[in-house]
Amino acid sequence: MLAYLLMSGIATGALYAMVAIGLVLVYRSTGHINFSHGELFMFGGFIAYTFFVILGVPYFLSLILAVIGGFVLGVLSDRAVYRPLIKAPPLTMVLATVGFSFFLKGIARYFWGSMEGGDYVAFPAAMDPSPIPIGSINVFPQQLLILAGAIVFVVGFTIFFRMTRAGKMMQATSENPTAAYLSGIRVERVYTLTWGAGSAIAAAAAVLMAPMTLLSPDVGFQLLLKAFAATVLGGLGSMPGAIVGGLLVGILESLGGGYIHSGVQDVSAFIVIIIVLVLRPAGLFGVRNIRDT
Amino acid sequence: MQALLARRNIVAVGIIVFAILPTFANAYIVFVANLALMYILLSVGLNMLLGYAGQLAFPNAALFGVGAYTSGLLRLEFDLPYWITLPAGAAFATLIGLAIALPALRLRGLYLALATIAFAQAALWVFGHWNSVTYGGAGFRVPPMDFSPLPLDPSTGIYYLSLIIVLVAVPLGWNIVRSRIGRAWVALRESEVAAETLGIDLTLYKAYAYVISGLYAGTAGALFSALLGIVTPESFDLFQVIVHFCMVIVGGIGSLWGGVLGAVILVGLLEVLRTFRDLQEIAFGGLLLFTVLVVPGGAIAMIKRYLPGWNEPLRRIGKKR
Amino acid sequence: MSKLIVSDVSISFGGLKALDSVSFDVKQGEIRGIIGPNGAGKTTMLNVISGINKADSGTITFDGTLLSGLKTNKIASKGIGRTFQTTKLFKGMTVLENVMTGAHSRLHANPLSAAFNFPFVAKEEKQAADQAYEVLEFLRMERFADHEATLLSFGQQRLVEIARVLVGQPQVLLLDEPAVGLSVTRVSEVEELLKRIRQERGITIVMIEHVIRLVMGVCDRITVLNSGQKIADGTAEEVVNNPAVERAYLGSKVDVTD
Repeated sequence: MLAYLLMSGIATGALYAMVAIGLVLVYRSTGHINFSHGELFMFGGFIAYTFFVILGVPYFLSLILAVIGGFVLGVLSDRAVYRPLIKAPPLTMVLATVGFSFFLKGIARYFWGSMEGGDYVAFPAAMDPSPIPIGSINVFPQQLLILAGAIVFVVGFTIFFRMTRAGKMMQATSENPTAAYLSGIRVERVYTLTWGAGSAIAAAAAVLMAPMTLLSPDVGFQLLLKAFAATVLGGLGSMPGAIVGGLLVGILESLGGGYIHSGVQDVSAFIVIIIVLVLRPAGLFGVRNIRDT
Repeated sequence: MQALLARRNIVAVGIIVFAILPTFANAYIVFVANLALMYILLSVGLNMLLGYAGQLAFPNAALFGVGAYTSGLLRLEFDLPYWITLPAGAAFATLIGLAIALPALRLRGLYLALATIAFAQAALWVFGHWNSVTYGGAGFRVPPMDFSPLPLDPSTGIYYLSLIIVLVAVPLGWNIVRSRIGRAWVALRESEVAAETLGIDLTLYKAYAYVISGLYAGTAGALFSALLGIVTPESFDLFQVIVHFCMVIVGGIGSLWGGVLGAVILVGLLEVLRTFRDLQEIAFGGLLLFTVLVVPGGAIAMIKRYLPGWNEPLRRIGKKR
Repeated sequence: MSKLIVSDVSISFGGLKALDSVSFDVKQGEIRGIIGPNGAGKTTMLNVISGINKADSGTITFDGTLLSGLKTNKIASKGIGRTFQTTKLFKGMTVLENVMTGAHSRLHANPLSAAFNFPFVAKEEKQAADQAYEVLEFLRMERFADHEATLLSFGQQRLVEIARVLVGQPQVLLLDEPAVGLSVTRVSEVEELLKRIRQERGITIVMIEHVIRLVMGVCDRITVLNSGQKIADGTAEEVVNNPAVERAYLGSKVDVTD
């Protein structure tokens, strides 16, 4: 039982970590939390749904298309919402991204909401869903896929950041935008890229998650809360923190749901957030506010 | 001509219209007007916390819910009259407001927002899962208010009750804002350090903001439960939070009368879009986005620019110097 | 008699010692200057006195009362007023309202009494407004009373900030570079203003300044800080001729005719 719960927790945790990474990426770079991040996740899922279910495109191709779609959506968000408000106080950004999140949610509900009567759509399994026995536990192939996908993305990201020129530009901009600007880096382009990347990774997470649960327009906010819990636990602004935080939240949820009460799963994210913020706001790997507002 | 549109005139006309509405309008219009009154109350309170004091906090919808649940449950379980259940609902919500204020006082900016969002969601979860007390996800019906010995049927009764409460609560709020409390709030919003060096106790004044906005939200919630006749968790979800924020932002953040205006505008919009839930979300999200991008000061900023008599000084204006 | 006594104050940030056992006293009615090269710890000193930062060791006494360890707003209500290097006027208020906010600790309204308009509230509000207007007149800024405060020019905003702090009727005024960014004529006006404040209101002034001309013209005594340490203390003449001070400013002579 424990092993099963742990496995399940790690798989969901990996997803939370991916979503959290996208959030932290944008935060580290621009100093703002994108409250519509959850909806970018959700849209990614629906884009994949459109390709996979409606158009019959194979799963992995749908995944890639969804990631691209997510990237494009992220870029659009930057242009429509972030760019015009670059100089505004933080409250304005929060409101704008919140408004945008509802806007996206409504659009998703309009286009996909009544697909199968009611808001939830079922994403069929991507592969034979029968569990594979590993050792003494039964592991679902999708869980393995999630873990594999998460690892691929995280590793890919790290490589991108450390090795490629674009990645290094993003790092430089997030550390010191003025210096970056003065050394010729197009800071605004970097921000756009960041938004796109953050959204892309969220979309990937959605597509990996979709076969295991139902997809609905409201799923965005749920995931956003989990991502918040993960980043707050790991320490706002810390990438490794987001990963560790995500895994921990996933595991805690799973264990809580299994051993205490299934309802605990819904509420564990809030509890984590509240406890961490009251006791140790910096989280586990707390990084000081990159931008002092 | 423009002087005719000064605030005091518009407000006077508004009061008259609201007062005589039940005599000529149908039940649906009265219901919507009643909703507007309730949201005016809520929005005035929220503006104090969010607008004047500048605290990025989201506990409002939850406190609204606490007021509704408390008041509704007292009526349902103990058959208490409205003049006990309403104040009780408001008082309990205020208490909870104070309880969240205590940890919230130490947080600011993003952390505050996250913590209060988490609290709001946790409250919603409690509403929906504490089956033994709150009747869980299904909610419960609230028995209609009994206004005897006054010859009022429940819906007219609740309407006039709401109107009276608003006519009392808004001026009270207006007085608070036009005193050293209002100035202290704006000061701590703009620069906590400077405010402190002027002798302002940040903790105390932030607490005031939380408590007072909790009181307004709780009262509105208590009225809401009586008005709707049913209390379910969905009424206090994330969308409610957005609606509340929209009212304050679209009306004019940091402006008490902007909040009033925003409440009226948004209730109208809500009702117009009632049948199209997805359009509701798109409309509200879009409106919020639009206001923030294009008219950050809200509707009231536009009005202040073109019409005289809409100033909101943070002090009492006596006779001319 | 000493109004303010700073005794052996030390404070470190991270590993950096910002103030190292600094001591000086300020007499009632005195105008005392604090000068020194950048990074000497001058603003930190004001921060410690006003309670924004807590000293690691040492004490600050004001009229015999211990200030160290008290919260900033408590210190302010005891009669210590302070202005900042970057003017922090409150956006969303008029000039008059900004100045009235300075009277905060002398007012008594709370949400209950304000909401229900207790008679004393209206009275004290009027009093505060009148006093604020009066201070604006003292600074010849009364015509801006109903202007949106943050729309004024830099020099005007600085004056409003001074008005705001004066209306609190402080006994000691801590000024952080009152003449920064001002033209030569303005500096003379500030000189006059400081003298008037001391004369007409009996306020003791402690000011950080870089504009040496102002410091020489107005200060009774000057403390010189360098890298957190006090390297000189005395009258203007004494300080000018102090070799340690010259060295601190990188060997350049302090030119009185600046």
